[in-house]
Amino acid sequence: MLLQNAVGDALNNTEWAFALAECVHIGGFAVGVGSIALVDFRMLNLGLRYESTGRILKYTELWTVIALLFVVFSGVALFLSQTDVYRVNPIFPLKMYVLAAALLYNFTIHRKVAKMENPPPLLSRLVASVSLLLWVAVVFGGIFTGFLV
Amino acid sequence: MDIARSIQSIDFLTAFSESVLAYPIVLSIHLACIALFGGMILATDLRLLGLTFKSLSITDVVTSLRPWKRIGGTIMIAMGLLLAASEAEKYAPNPFFWTKMIILGLIGVHALVFRPIVYSKTEELDRSPIIPTKAKVAAILSLCLWTAMFVMGRLIAYWD
Repeated sequence: MLLQNAVGDALNNTEWAFALAECVHIGGFAVGVGSIALVDFRMLNLGLRYESTGRILKYTELWTVIALLFVVFSGVALFLSQTDVYRVNPIFPLKMYVLAAALLYNFTIHRKVAKMENPPPLLSRLVASVSLLLWVAVVFGGIFTGFLV
Repeated sequence: MDIARSIQSIDFLTAFSESVLAYPIVLSIHLACIALFGGMILATDLRLLGLTFKSLSITDVVTSLRPWKRIGGTIMIAMGLLLAASEAEKYAPNPFFWTKMIILGLIGVHALVFRPIVYSKTEELDRSPIIPTKAKVAAILSLCLWTAMFVMGRLIAYWD
């Protein structure tokens, strides 16, 4: 089925292609999750405290979206290069579920609370903490997927 | 090689690398630091380049993120040392690892060079009508060096 595909072939036949995809993946989440973390830290009343959460979100949201697109595209390319390996990996599906949750959460609840004028501090801190936990879980999922290959 | 072997033979480190979970957990923390603190480095550098966070002064951005960057950097380096020490024999001949260490050294040099003229002079940068070139050079070098760090880090596993 997906065992032989054009993207997978490209990554597997060129020596550096897989490594490049991985580097794009890492750079992507450094910017994508890093920009979300800036908002999260602010919601915890840490970091860029001289600006409102809403403004920080405004500054970072485009970076977040574009960077996460790079993460997802490079991730798809990596997956397509070894579909048989990933599909039997016990951790990989978990990573995907947590990623889906993190993405959904980020663009719904998280976004809503980040844009609130005067959110209850407890709510902000809770929402930010969940966000950070979800994304850290995705990173752990990525590493553990690799260790079970 | 003997030095490497004797480092990784330290009881604690042997137990560490033999533990199925410990190494990936430490590596995950190392990468989680990139995810949590990488954005702060990006924010600082982009502000020095005048590209974003313009409603905040350079002083505000630099000083408010500084303690967190230090905490993140400390955790990251601690985890990195643990990883390297436990696999000293594997890392010792690895050119990607040593390149990464050299780049880390360069990051240290970057701090020594630019702290007195940029990072501790942020009020002067804010007073200036246009952002001085030295600040922009510091920012661009920082972005290049940190990118090189994670690329080399990823490539470590490719050496055999």
